[in-house]
Amino acid sequence: MAVDITLLFRASVKTVKTRNKALGVAVGGGVDGSRDELFRRSPRPKGDFSSRAREVISHIGKLRDFLLEHRKDYINAYSHTMSEYGRMTDTERDQIDQDAQIFMRTCSEAIQQLRAEAHKEIHSQQVKEHRTAVLDFIEDYLKRVCKLYSEQRAIRVKRVVDKKRLSKLEPEPNTKTRESTSSEKVSQSPSKDSEENPATEEHPEKILAETQPELGTWGDGKGEDELSPEEIQMFEQENQRLIGEMNSLFDEVRQIEGRVVEISRLQEIFTEKVLQQEAEIDSIHQLVVGATENIKEGNEDIREVPHL
Amino acid sequence: MASAAAATAAAAAVAASIRERQTVALKRMLNFNVPHIKNSTGEPVWKVLIYDRFGQDIISPLLSVKELRDMGITLHLLLHSDRDPIPDVPAVYFVMPTEENIDRMCQDLRNQLYESYYLNFISAISRSKLEDIANAALAASAVTQVAKVFDQYLNFITLEDDMFVLCNQNKELVSYRAINRPDITDTEMETVMDTIVDSLFCFFVTLGAVPIIRCSRGTAAEMVAVKLDKKLRENLRDARNSLFTGDTLGAGQFSFQRPLLVLVDRNIDLATPLHHTWTYQALVHDVLDFHLNRVNLEESSGVENSPAGARPKRKNKKSYDLTPVDKFWQKHKGSPFPEVAESVQQELESYRAQEDEVKRLKSIMGLEGEDEGAISMLSDNTAKLTSAVSSLPELLEKKRLIDLHTNVATAVLEHIKARKLDVYFEYEEKIMSKTTLDKSLLDIISDPDAGTPEDKMRLFLIYYISTQQAPSEADLEQYKKALTDAGCNLNPLQYIKQWKAFTKMASAPASYGSTTTKPMGLLSRVMNTGSQFVMEGVKNLVLKQQNLPVTRILDNLMEMKSNPETDDYRYFDPKMLRGNDSSVPRNKNPFQEAIVFVVGGGNYIEYQNLVDYIKGKQGKHILYGCSELFNATQFIKQLSQLGQK
Repeated sequence: MAVDITLLFRASVKTVKTRNKALGVAVGGGVDGSRDELFRRSPRPKGDFSSRAREVISHIGKLRDFLLEHRKDYINAYSHTMSEYGRMTDTERDQIDQDAQIFMRTCSEAIQQLRAEAHKEIHSQQVKEHRTAVLDFIEDYLKRVCKLYSEQRAIRVKRVVDKKRLSKLEPEPNTKTRESTSSEKVSQSPSKDSEENPATEEHPEKILAETQPELGTWGDGKGEDELSPEEIQMFEQENQRLIGEMNSLFDEVRQIEGRVVEISRLQEIFTEKVLQQEAEIDSIHQLVVGATENIKEGNEDIREVPHL
Repeated sequence: MASAAAATAAAAAVAASIRERQTVALKRMLNFNVPHIKNSTGEPVWKVLIYDRFGQDIISPLLSVKELRDMGITLHLLLHSDRDPIPDVPAVYFVMPTEENIDRMCQDLRNQLYESYYLNFISAISRSKLEDIANAALAASAVTQVAKVFDQYLNFITLEDDMFVLCNQNKELVSYRAINRPDITDTEMETVMDTIVDSLFCFFVTLGAVPIIRCSRGTAAEMVAVKLDKKLRENLRDARNSLFTGDTLGAGQFSFQRPLLVLVDRNIDLATPLHHTWTYQALVHDVLDFHLNRVNLEESSGVENSPAGARPKRKNKKSYDLTPVDKFWQKHKGSPFPEVAESVQQELESYRAQEDEVKRLKSIMGLEGEDEGAISMLSDNTAKLTSAVSSLPELLEKKRLIDLHTNVATAVLEHIKARKLDVYFEYEEKIMSKTTLDKSLLDIISDPDAGTPEDKMRLFLIYYISTQQAPSEADLEQYKKALTDAGCNLNPLQYIKQWKAFTKMASAPASYGSTTTKPMGLLSRVMNTGSQFVMEGVKNLVLKQQNLPVTRILDNLMEMKSNPETDDYRYFDPKMLRGNDSSVPRNKNPFQEAIVFVVGGGNYIEYQNLVDYIKGKQGKHILYGCSELFNATQFIKQLSQLGQK
């Protein structure tokens, strides 16, 4: 295990100080020394590069904190039993999304700027390498924080899609059965009083809690007095058929959804790869252009040489 | 409940590989001496790493450049190189506390190269040198910039999970030759022993355990044992600064078993380092340039008739790192070569199958636009496509490894075919196990096709070492003549003669076991399957497990068996209050963990033999270490230098 000898070092410093004082050797300690130190420090290039880099990092840190803070609320919003404190409206969510995006864009622009400027005025290879690496780290940090954001967003989008899907499938069987009952009612004797109509109309208003087979029975139950047994059977059959149709549609849509999600993931991967390749293709292009020129010049030189 | 869990965890931890421990220690050091926790949304911190050649050798087998990057290191530089000031960045130093290094560090402080300094010394720094740094820091008004100073106790190089060597940079100092040369003075010997003991001490500090030491009498190993015992004892007695108590010991405190350290001297077995070998890792070390887990190959780029005046084709140099991440290497480094060739072939085939799978998907995708019916298959294919794409990086990595091993194995195979190494291997095995020889030794030596002069020398030396009675003068002259005709240098023989005389006085020469190897026929199965490894004419030899002398000694000591060879080994227990010279072991139970250390140098053959031995024993672990790692070429060179005197 490693042993921390920092204290030993500090003790050595004291020993050396006292020894030097005793010997009368001038040292950099004491009042003179501190002035000396200040004097020596100021002409050192404090590195405007590193202070700006640190700034960018602290911005990204703020973004990260902001996202983490509201993350729970952002995700948890759909529970109706949640207290008022936990709720977040959609507009608020949109606001968060927008702000985050603007923030991310400014940060990545700042990084690009730093990259362009980093190599000016610096002649040392080592410092250049160091700065490139630092910028890589910052970009990586930004990517990680953006991932936080995109994960949140993906969850939200998925929820919205789910909700839409459910709400789309829901009224159809309602309208169908409603239509069948209402059409049936038209064919019936008009002795039906108006109470039933509003009654039948109220039911579609009920939210998705009801299951589809129930609608069938409801439809059946309501129009029982008016319907003859054959018609009941017919309606039942139709209901079953509709249920079957809806289920298969439902399955298909599920499948499509799955495929789309995968395709989007694939696209993400592909875009990344293509972007990586862009840089390489650029450099290859440069090389090829350079090579063609070299060959041209070489050919000319060869032609100039007088043949023996 | 908790204590039982802790005990099992502790038992596992003590057996935790030395490689892990050293890596963890390095990572902590790189993290400004604070334990490293992975945090996915942590802010980046950047730093610069400065090391000397010792530090470089320690870090390079353990951490790749990418891993250094992940720890936030933007630049890694040698201490004694030209370094420019980089403002505003902390620097982590990892160096040996030598005079030159300290001077250069003081210079850095004076030149104000970096923002803050984290000094880490590979082995403990002396008080006076610490004061030198303090002096320089004061003069440069940089005392506050020196943030932390640590003694890392990492002065050894770990090559495998269970194998370590002492050093690479100054291995001349502790080489076999250095220890065994007749003109060595006492002070020089002291220095060598101190170096070895320092590294061993660092090793045990990192391992976190105090071993029980056993060594043979009258050898360099004994000197090492005495010094190591003394050093450990002193450290344990110094309660305030002990490195083995409390938190630093950690898991080791719970383990009821202490490890056994067996110190052996190279001189008990000189045949093994000369032996031709048949397992993958040992072969790579023997015939190729293999160094700190990196193998350097020279690829000859074909012999073509180039037009006169054109520049001669340059040979490509390629180097590969053989790391723990390389699954093929981990699986096959101890396998006999034909098996390796076969496995590479198999891997290549399975890779091609996977590649075809991916390509097939591509063509199916192509059909999609034309054939409506394909859309029904679409859902399946999207999923397949996703999985194919996400498995692409894995596939590429596999391809890279297959290429690597194909190249390495081909290079090894070329050597085997050119030098007929399989013949040598078989013959030597027969000599070492004292079975009858079907071909005369003289024939092989005089055969111009088989092997380099060095191979022949090796063979003859093994014969000379292993025979019970020395060959007659006439025979010896005949052999000598044949060897000289083949182009060998006879100096090693001089030395071996002396050695044999010396060891005959001390004890009977070690025997090598009595099992044999069975050749499986001239044409290997590999050739029949039409692989690119055409092993035509190369025997497909199967290794039979036989215990080399070092393994046998370990077996006796670990299992507390009684054997005339090991019974009079000395016994040291640094934890015992009375420092005495008893040779009666107090501990009667077999050991679960052992460390074998060869003073004077070791090689992969011994290591592999130990690994094979321990494989059969459940729950036991062995670590192998040596003062330097040499292959037969290097060893012959040392013998030759010794024989010249």
